[in-house]
Amino acid sequence: MENQNINLCACCAHHYESIDIFCNTCGYPLQGTKQQQDAFIANRTVKEIDLVDLKKKIESARNSLYIITAFLGISGLFGLFFIKEGDDLFYYLISYVILVGAFLAFAVWSKTKPASALISGLSLYVIVQLLNIIADPATLFSGIIIKVLIIAYLIKGIIAVLEVDKIKKELNIK
Amino acid sequence: MDSQETIYRLCPNCQNNIPEQNNFCSICGHAQNHEEVKFHGKKRQNLNQVALFFAIEIIICISAGLISEHTILIALFFDLIMALTAILFFAYSWQENKFLLKWPNFSIKKVSALIALTLIASFGVQFLVGHLNQLVFNKDYTFYYTYAFHDYGNYIMIISVALFPALFEELAYRGFLMQRLLNIVDEKEAIYITSILFFFIHFSMISFFWMLPFGLVLAYVRIKTNTLWYGIVMHFFFNLCACLIEIYNYGSF
Repeated sequence: MENQNINLCACCAHHYESIDIFCNTCGYPLQGTKQQQDAFIANRTVKEIDLVDLKKKIESARNSLYIITAFLGISGLFGLFFIKEGDDLFYYLISYVILVGAFLAFAVWSKTKPASALISGLSLYVIVQLLNIIADPATLFSGIIIKVLIIAYLIKGIIAVLEVDKIKKELNIK
Repeated sequence: MDSQETIYRLCPNCQNNIPEQNNFCSICGHAQNHEEVKFHGKKRQNLNQVALFFAIEIIICISAGLISEHTILIALFFDLIMALTAILFFAYSWQENKFLLKWPNFSIKKVSALIALTLIASFGVQFLVGHLNQLVFNKDYTFYYTYAFHDYGNYIMIISVALFPALFEELAYRGFLMQRLLNIVDEKEAIYITSILFFFIHFSMISFFWMLPFGLVLAYVRIKTNTLWYGIVMHFFFNLCACLIEIYNYGSF
């Protein structure tokens, strides 16, 4: 029992038997050359850094959803001052409340189920923009840079969610 | 001490016996979740297919909405395009999807129970939607008059509103889309995403209180039974009920 404590993997600090060639928890080449061991650690570190980057991308996608929510909320309130006599106020309010509610819900939901929330958020955003363009073609160019950026961040976020799953599987961590 | 309780398996790379709970083979270093890693590597391709499918669906639905004229021919034309899209996407990965067209463990009890529940839900929803339309828009919305001026209008309406969407929306969303999404996310998330996209494609914000639950139920039934047919039957009776109420309100057989 005493010498069991000595055999700890240099990479993941799990116990190993002295006959093991590779660590059975992280795959570290216990009996490999110094070069192999260094390469293994470097490779694993790169993946861990990637993981941090990808999580930042998911964070940006979530923030885009919050920005959409805020922007819609403000423009909805602002639009109230410009509502004309003939317009249907009730319908206007219901549309904005549902849309703002939906984006806010997706943003919050993306903490627990990022894939579902980001895919739904992106789809809804694209549909809303397309319907806006059809209703008034002039809206295509208003704030086009921000719109493209938001869509790009959301797409990057969705891809990052999948990449995170993949890297976690490769590193064998939960 | 507890080595008797350890379950062993063969490492797929070097064929040595290794304990089940090991992440890596201690002899050759092979990752024991290699298959899972490979599965995760194919996710991007599946995601691209989902994106292409949904983009095409949006374009079709928006172009259908752009045409202000409502005639039988235009309605049937868009039904046909939706059907073709659904069939093409479904058939593209036929090997993977074909099991969905089988009907294992057919049970007349289950079908009748689901139909009964669907009819009750549909009546409730039609009643609520009728009132909601009057409340919010101060008018009745009906698709009946598109079909009213044809000799066989009622029958064409049932085909175009009940039969076609039931068959091809199920084929597209619970068939193709669901199967692709199962390659990307887990079952729960696949159910959520299909029902949310199914709701979006109807371009009717107000209807979220019944369209989303309906989509969730259809997706859940599809996952539990591993066949499209229960969903198709439920979807058909749901829409049929709406058709019959329209005919009852505005016309006669």
